[in-house]
Amino acid sequence: MNKIRKNYCGSTEHAVSRRQFIGSAASGIAGASLFAENALSAELKKQGKSVILLWLAGGASQLETFDPKPGAITGGPFQSIQTSTPGVRISELMPKMAARFKDTCVIRSLNTKNGDHGSASQLMMRGRKDEASLKYPDMGAVLARELGKPESQVPDYVSFYLQSEGRNFSGSGFLGARFGPMELSKSVMPENINKPDHISESDFLDRMALRDLWSKNFETGRSSGTLASHQQAFMRVHGLMESQKLFDVSKEPQKMRDMYGPTQFAEQVLIARRLAESGVPFVRVGRAWWDSHGQNFETHQELVPELDHVMATLLTDLEDRGMLKNTLVVTLSEFGRTPGINSSLGRDHFASAWSCSLSGCGVKGGSIYGKTDEKGEKVIEGEIGAARLFATIYKALGINPQKNYYVGSRPVPLTDPGTEPVQEVLA
Amino acid sequence: MNFTSIKVEKNIARQDILFAVARVPNSSKAFIAGSDFKISEIDFQQAKPEIRSFPAHSSYVTALILKDDTLISGAYDGKLVWWKASSGEKIKSIDAHKKWIRQATISPDGKHFASVADDMALKIWNIADAKMVREMTGEHKPLTPNDFQSMLYACAFNKDGKLVASVDKTGHIVVWETFTGKKIATMEAPIMYTWDPNARRHSIGGPRSIAFSPDSKLLAVGGTGKIGNIDHLEANGRVEVFNWEKSERLHEFVTDKSKGLVEHLEFHPDGNILLGAGGAGEGFLAFMDLKEKKVAHQEKAAMNIHAIASSDNMKSLLAVGHHRVLHIKTA
Repeated sequence: MNKIRKNYCGSTEHAVSRRQFIGSAASGIAGASLFAENALSAELKKQGKSVILLWLAGGASQLETFDPKPGAITGGPFQSIQTSTPGVRISELMPKMAARFKDTCVIRSLNTKNGDHGSASQLMMRGRKDEASLKYPDMGAVLARELGKPESQVPDYVSFYLQSEGRNFSGSGFLGARFGPMELSKSVMPENINKPDHISESDFLDRMALRDLWSKNFETGRSSGTLASHQQAFMRVHGLMESQKLFDVSKEPQKMRDMYGPTQFAEQVLIARRLAESGVPFVRVGRAWWDSHGQNFETHQELVPELDHVMATLLTDLEDRGMLKNTLVVTLSEFGRTPGINSSLGRDHFASAWSCSLSGCGVKGGSIYGKTDEKGEKVIEGEIGAARLFATIYKALGINPQKNYYVGSRPVPLTDPGTEPVQEVLA
Repeated sequence: MNFTSIKVEKNIARQDILFAVARVPNSSKAFIAGSDFKISEIDFQQAKPEIRSFPAHSSYVTALILKDDTLISGAYDGKLVWWKASSGEKIKSIDAHKKWIRQATISPDGKHFASVADDMALKIWNIADAKMVREMTGEHKPLTPNDFQSMLYACAFNKDGKLVASVDKTGHIVVWETFTGKKIATMEAPIMYTWDPNARRHSIGGPRSIAFSPDSKLLAVGGTGKIGNIDHLEANGRVEVFNWEKSERLHEFVTDKSKGLVEHLEFHPDGNILLGAGGAGEGFLAFMDLKEKKVAHQEKAAMNIHAIASSDNMKSLLAVGHHRVLHIKTA
């Protein structure tokens, strides 16, 4: 007797059972036939590249992270410190990242023109605004599509977002459910990929063997894309069930867990590394909530050291495992924060001149791109928007940002037509 | 005197955000300091109040102590600096704390002062020779229960200076013997600290002010109430009054007309009225009646108030805060 499955995130929108997943996954793969696979993308998939997105939800302050302005009237109380790149300074709240800046490029010149949490989050996850008749896929869905391997038995897109503020902005858009995220919003352990309790392990293995036998018999003498995609989808679900151990942080040595630290964010980032190591091409770790309208400096005193420690530990861990050259670590928010300090000693929403960082795969490490003025109020060099940032991310991973998907007969490039990546950011 | 008459005599606009003020006795002069890392000397009765200004620290200046011609400043750079008040000449600079200095307060006899900082240390200093005479550590934990950095926000002497109290972000209050460093009482004010484990997963608030009553029997702590949406300081100001010898909470006052933090607390010398001031988007003054156990009078201020230096039995208040200096007369 089947139990009613729990949802991934508690919303009916995301209520997915394994049986439903097989259906949508199969249709997604059939839908993928809309898109031309070529030798280049097949080669790319073999390289095992991954992205770990540290999503600083609510809007982290660029002035207290990557673009400090000490001494300016807008600068706040924090000093800047020298990084391992001569002449490059970041906030004193980030000493660990300053010391291992060699793999990171900070972009200080984002002007994304949207200071609303909801629509800005969508913009910075998709790289562009949806059209009335076309929902674009977010970065995770595109990278699941571009980097995920059809035969993979691990998820292609995992999203951790355990805080309740600021959710519900991701989506696979026209790519369909096959490339949508496995959302973890209640626990770091997936909730509905467990083997039902009433089936023993030996029963489960027997059933799998029987299904495999019937399937092979059925396939004998038949050649069908639909049949193959259904089989692939089933194996993916089986893989998802098996992949549960990847989410179990207790499988990591205590020494490694201690290195990342005791916080929830640290635990999720460690799991993200485990997932990337096992072939998951895109993992987003949402760290809410940076929306510091009141007491900005206290808030950043809590959140930035945690980010600094966890991010630096992740980069070192990836490097030690030989993964950093194929893993891109992105820190990104929906926007930054105002240079002006309000009367609650807070900073408000600000999308005109803010920062993000790219580390690892395909990136010119130890560098800064773009510049803001003395008070951090406007970009004075290298202004870019969401589209060029996304083009740069895709290019760093070896993906042509102008590659077309096809929605019906309409070609839809990965980023807005004509968008060029920022060459200065790329290795 | 019921403090129902509040008159702002001077309202001086500033570019900087001011966190500290020290008045020159029997004059209209004062030293102020804040977000421009400088110390300014002003005469608040003059049309052009600023007399001079000089660079003092490498971060926000949050503490000023004035004794005769000695001015001492403390800042988020962890330094205490001794100055000749009349000339602005730097006398001595000390790496006093490893993290932000949040507050300093002078002892009643004017010979010592106490400083508190985010290294979670309370230190007692000689004003005359700039020597530290006592350090109290270990009682205020460096991390909150949720593994984030804690902060040691405020300290106060009692009337004879033999006791000093300190309060940290989580609401842990300690009363110490000033010159032995012995801990003699602890209390908790947890409501003032909000940790949001689910929606936003960080904290806000924490007690920001502390004061002994003139008879030293009561200890008042000021901050804010429990906050729902920690993006903002959206709770009302809150003051809790303790019988510290029994570690017993006696009264709770809430500024129901104003939101934000109570950043300044001061008992009237008669012991019956407690002044709280602070704010968030707007500022406030609240006069609490300890006999009636109610907030007797509340007044909006033109700015979020971060510090006050009073004189003449609280008839004259020099308040500093968000881009302003206010000289307020009470009656």
